[in-house]
Amino acid sequence: MSPSTGSGQALLEVDGVARAFGGVQALYDVSLEVRAGEIFSLIGPNGAGKTTLFNVISGVLRPDRGDVRFMGRSIVGRAPHRIAQAGIARTYQIVRPFGRLSVVDNVAVGALVHVRSLERARRDAREIVDFVGLAPLAERFAADLTLTQRKRLEVARALALRPKLLLLDEVMAGLTPSEMDGMADFIVSLSARGISAVCGIEHVMRLVMRISHRIAVLDAGRLIAQGDPQTILNDPAVIEAYLGTPSVPA
Amino acid sequence: MKTLLRVAAVVAVVALVLAPLRLNGYLLNLLYTTVLYVALAYGWNIISGYAGYFSFGQIAFFGVGAYATGLLVADLNWFWMLAALAGGAIACALAIPLGYVMLRLRGPFFAMGMFGMAQMVRVVVTAIPATGSGSGLFLPPGSSLTGVYYWTLAICLGAIGLTIWIDRSAFGLRLQALREDEQVAGTLGVDVTRAKITAFALSALIPGLLGGGYALFLTYIEPDAAFSSRLDLQSIVMAILGGVGTVWGPLVGGVVMTQISEALWAKFPQIYLMLFGGLLVGLLLALPRGIVPALAGRRRPR
Repeated sequence: MSPSTGSGQALLEVDGVARAFGGVQALYDVSLEVRAGEIFSLIGPNGAGKTTLFNVISGVLRPDRGDVRFMGRSIVGRAPHRIAQAGIARTYQIVRPFGRLSVVDNVAVGALVHVRSLERARRDAREIVDFVGLAPLAERFAADLTLTQRKRLEVARALALRPKLLLLDEVMAGLTPSEMDGMADFIVSLSARGISAVCGIEHVMRLVMRISHRIAVLDAGRLIAQGDPQTILNDPAVIEAYLGTPSVPA
Repeated sequence: MKTLLRVAAVVAVVALVLAPLRLNGYLLNLLYTTVLYVALAYGWNIISGYAGYFSFGQIAFFGVGAYATGLLVADLNWFWMLAALAGGAIACALAIPLGYVMLRLRGPFFAMGMFGMAQMVRVVVTAIPATGSGSGLFLPPGSSLTGVYYWTLAICLGAIGLTIWIDRSAFGLRLQALREDEQVAGTLGVDVTRAKITAFALSALIPGLLGGGYALFLTYIEPDAAFSSRLDLQSIVMAILGGVGTVWGPLVGGVVMTQISEALWAKFPQIYLMLFGGLLVGLLLALPRGIVPALAGRRRPR
């Protein structure tokens, strides 16, 4: 599949965002733009700042500097629940299910953003649980799920918000190669339904190249490249910092 | 099974309503105390069981309700039920700003913070000259134990009804979600601050309403009685023994505990506290999640 570029409209704009934790600068002046309907991959090694950036976008952390705009409006300083209600959903790298709630109720929490009655929210949640393939476990405690199932639950909960933008933090980590392919197809199907996705991914370049419309490379808190997969592959800075210089020159 | 439980519930409520007609003073007294403890445990269970904010200070709202009622009855000659209602409203209103501050703390910090907060509220209330400070406040006689019992029973049943509603409502699901993981609940669209403060206010309303009845039951209130740490701790232990964050935990825990305590006291008056403490430790070791979850098993959540 050769990914076409998104529709061109900027959905999310990250503008000069910086964030430090004590003396550690996690993000330096990061700017990027995610367009409506596109799959945008944020790649970089562990500690590059992907999760920090996701925390800033979802309102969990405030940036020290810079602005984040969603559909043209600044969302910096808004409470996380208001950002979620506006249409940005996220998953967590380290899965965080509500252990003592059923799988359906885990998903229903998000669905309550759109429907008032718990009954309706549970019905919507069941559909989503079905969609991500957890139907047989719908009534089980989330704590009873395996890691792969928890990853799917993370995605299901996020989808229940009916987001316009989905931030997927390391959804591939811990999956077997065939499960990764399944997840990649799933992300592509979301894009086909008009949901933009930002995938924070440490490795699995094969999949990143296959599904991404555009890619940004984060290294030690700095954005070192941004562009379509081909551009990224040929970018000297990326090759040096991330893909590695060939030890034997050709 | 469901119908059987419903019938049992109706029979129990009818029996509780008719009880004052048959029981002597001692037994009615015991029944009043049991109902009071159970109702307090239900109040605590909302913020601490459903929302997961373990509070050691809900007795502050009980004391506020007791003193507000005492003042309204003694100084302004209000009808006591009206005064107790006002006491509940005042406690509930007070909980909103207090909750806004206190609910920023979590875990043991919230628990300790609420303990300190209760002491502060106690000092402030008893510093008001009209409350008689440390020496206490006399209420005009005239209310009967029966009246106080019915008041307390009504609040207890109301608290059970409220808990059943919470357990089945969207609000209750939001509370449980934030109990499990507050940050995740927020990014899933839950207004966690609002949900927590609402739960806290409801957890203050119930002891606030109960305090007024207790003031009339004692006919004389002083700080140690109105802000009784014994009432606070015992009701918490009951909720824990029955099952934290469950609909029936406070009731089961409350009934089991008061019955055991009374039976031991009657048979072994010298060493009953020691036996009671030992039994409690044993029960909690055997059933760490409480009686109700142990009976319900883990087949199905909810």
